[in-house]
Amino acid sequence: MNVIILLIAAGGTVASGFLAAFVWAVRSGQFDDTCTPAVRVLLDTRVPDPAPRTPDPDSTQ
Amino acid sequence: MEIAAAEPLPSLALSRCRHCGDPCRAGAVTSSDGDFCCRGCEAVFALLQRAGLGAFYACDINPGTSQKETSRRDAGRFAALDDPAVADRLIAFNDGSIARVTFPVPAIHCSSCVWLLEQLWRFDPGILRTEVDLLRRAVHVDFQPATTSLRAIAEQLAAVGYEPALSPEDSRDPVPASRRTLYLRIGVAGFAFGNIMLFSIPRYANGAPLDPAFQHLFDALNIALAVPVLLFSAAPYFRTAWEALSGRSMAIEVPVALGLAVLFVRSLFDIATGHSEGFLDSFAGLVFFLLLGRLFQHKVFDRIAFDRTYRSFLPLSVRVERAATIELVPLEQLKPGDCIEIRPGEVVPADSQLIAASGHVDYAFVTGEQAPVAVQQGEVVRAGGRATTDVLRLRVLREVSHSYLASLWNNPIFTKAKSRWLTDVAARFGAWFTVGAIGIAAAGAMAWWPNATASASVATAVLIIACPCALTLSAPLTLGTAMGLLGRKGLYLKHPAVALDLSRIDLIAFDKTGTLTAGSERRVLEASGLSANAWALVRELALHSTHPVSRAIAAYIEPGSRNEAAGVTDLHEAPGHGISGVVDGVAVAIGTEAFVSGAGTAHYSDRFDRTYVRAGLEYGSVRLSSSIRPRVDFAARTLARSHDVCLLSGDHDHERSRWSEIFGSRMRFRQTPHDKLTFISEARRAGHHVLMVGDGLNDSGALAAADVGIAVSDETACIVPACDAVIAGDRVPELPAFLRYSRRARTVVFVCFLVSVLYNTGGLTLALRGQLTPLASAILMPVSSLTIVGLSWGAMQWSARRILPS
Repeated sequence: MNVIILLIAAGGTVASGFLAAFVWAVRSGQFDDTCTPAVRVLLDTRVPDPAPRTPDPDSTQ
Repeated sequence: MEIAAAEPLPSLALSRCRHCGDPCRAGAVTSSDGDFCCRGCEAVFALLQRAGLGAFYACDINPGTSQKETSRRDAGRFAALDDPAVADRLIAFNDGSIARVTFPVPAIHCSSCVWLLEQLWRFDPGILRTEVDLLRRAVHVDFQPATTSLRAIAEQLAAVGYEPALSPEDSRDPVPASRRTLYLRIGVAGFAFGNIMLFSIPRYANGAPLDPAFQHLFDALNIALAVPVLLFSAAPYFRTAWEALSGRSMAIEVPVALGLAVLFVRSLFDIATGHSEGFLDSFAGLVFFLLLGRLFQHKVFDRIAFDRTYRSFLPLSVRVERAATIELVPLEQLKPGDCIEIRPGEVVPADSQLIAASGHVDYAFVTGEQAPVAVQQGEVVRAGGRATTDVLRLRVLREVSHSYLASLWNNPIFTKAKSRWLTDVAARFGAWFTVGAIGIAAAGAMAWWPNATASASVATAVLIIACPCALTLSAPLTLGTAMGLLGRKGLYLKHPAVALDLSRIDLIAFDKTGTLTAGSERRVLEASGLSANAWALVRELALHSTHPVSRAIAAYIEPGSRNEAAGVTDLHEAPGHGISGVVDGVAVAIGTEAFVSGAGTAHYSDRFDRTYVRAGLEYGSVRLSSSIRPRVDFAARTLARSHDVCLLSGDHDHERSRWSEIFGSRMRFRQTPHDKLTFISEARRAGHHVLMVGDGLNDSGALAAADVGIAVSDETACIVPACDAVIAGDRVPELPAFLRYSRRARTVVFVCFLVSVLYNTGGLTLALRGQLTPLASAILMPVSSLTIVGLSWGAMQWSARRILPS
């Protein structure tokens, strides 16, 4: 029956690990915005029309 | 439906703006890139093309936001951001090389917005990274303070068409810290719930007692897991219940807290006596589900972000006369003795003394009283007063109190002193429920009396099962869902309970201008009589007024080469008549024929589509488009079948015939804001439940007085705190559907009440017979909560698809 005690201890450790990970995730702000990442993942990171950093177009105005 | 089909279709001849998708009307611009509705949109389009960001237009169809309003704004409006005091308040983090700032940007609405704003670094080498929060409509910007400035960033945002809304409130953290705590509470409760369940299952599955050594171990682990749930996760319920009780009032949290406490204590008792393994799994599960409901409600509130938009009303900086020039000074640096200039529509930031000869101020934001008060030279104008018709020159008497200004918005007048039907019902129901549950528990204990153990266990079992968790969930969930879905369709409720108030309306009062007629949609069809130079003067005057006709005129006349900073002196607005002032030494007037000609007679022209102008000795006129919102007459007719409808208009009655078919004799013209307020108050005293639909700026008194006040807004920036809801201008015709949906929400709440009462009755029967085992409660409680969640959410979604316009 000692094996059950062992299993409980092991299970408890794993579960606590996940709880700790969750607490860390919340504290580090990963749950602050749950909406935008879903949209962002669909966007191309690369701009199709490759424009190297252009001089500020506003500076001429 | 025949009527709807017979309406004229929008003209297909109008091309759509390539940037924002608005129809190109008067003032449209055609360039080699295509058609644009205004110069602002064209500028943004050209800017993005030059920067190689044309893909913005590939993500979505016409993703831009119209720049018509923006182009009219003061170019120096972000000057205050150069001030270190203001910048310091906005910047969340600054270590000298990297700083982080968050701007609320109400225009954010789609994936294209996210894409464009996160490319902002391409425009300014000082910007390191931008991150968009789509739900809260905010942009976080990381930048190098050495290379760029806060003002440059704000101007860059405005240049690409995303005007940041600067609020005087601390805007460092748009995500309230309490939200993270809520996630943690849910995490802890969920963790405990799952693990307690694991340790309890052997007993349920087996039926027979376990090996005592294991049972003791499991019990100890269960208690260890349940304690954090009690102390941390369930804390808000106990705190609210305690606050309610110590304030001698009743909240729905009181029976919940009582149920949770009894559940926990009884479980401890059962475990200690070895009677059973207790109800700790139900306890943790309950807290978990209750908190999930709370999170759901918060999510809905986020989507609306109502708070932030109406706070942006407060002035961030003021024009101060210093050394014969006028400069923009941030509010913090305003000192007693400063000479300030407040234009019509702006709020006086501090208690001040009037220097100019006379003026008019309304204290709608302070007292809810809309009628302007005349002030004479030397009189004191209190902070929060709003200049109505003239430019006020004031000497500041006291320091600016930010907390006072902020408190105006949270004034009980605006959060409503009127009795909230739902909170009343919930509180009364909660009180009745608690008393009833305690009564039944006592009766049960009496019935089992000779057997002390059995009677104690029955009494606690009754209190456990009576915990109205399903009831607590039903109203917020149903109304919260309704609020979210209505918001998506253009009706933004300030509070979920407004949906219930809406369902009880029997009298609807409409304002005319800006409500039934579309203020900002009016456009000039033709202008005649004046020379080009004179029109430029008229435009200058029109720019100084927010009246729909002035705005239409200002939008129609092409900006000439005149230096616009010349300014207008002797500006005077006569509500219902017109506006006059002196531009470049020439007397200019816009308004009714009598007003413009200076005849002063009360002769009103029948030509409501015509407005007269004068510049010096030249007279002319403009013809305006019909201003009735499309389909609004059909909606009013639909509403008239089921409700009493009436029209309260500040204008004179030349349009009487146009509206009499719908409103019959229930029309009142030439109503001052005070008349409207009186009318609403009297109707309420006569027992009506009144809905006032009006333009937020001029009707705030009446909106506050009604059971439900809906402010019509064509630009979401113009929101008054006095209303209960804001409706997008083009959604006014959908009002009948919105009202029907709110009635459906009420039905769903009642059905949920009924279902949860059924559950509770079933549970009570078990409890009174002494049969409420931990297993029965472990099944009954989550199932009842889940039924309510599924029922209310599902019913509201389904009804939305059936009732609300697509």
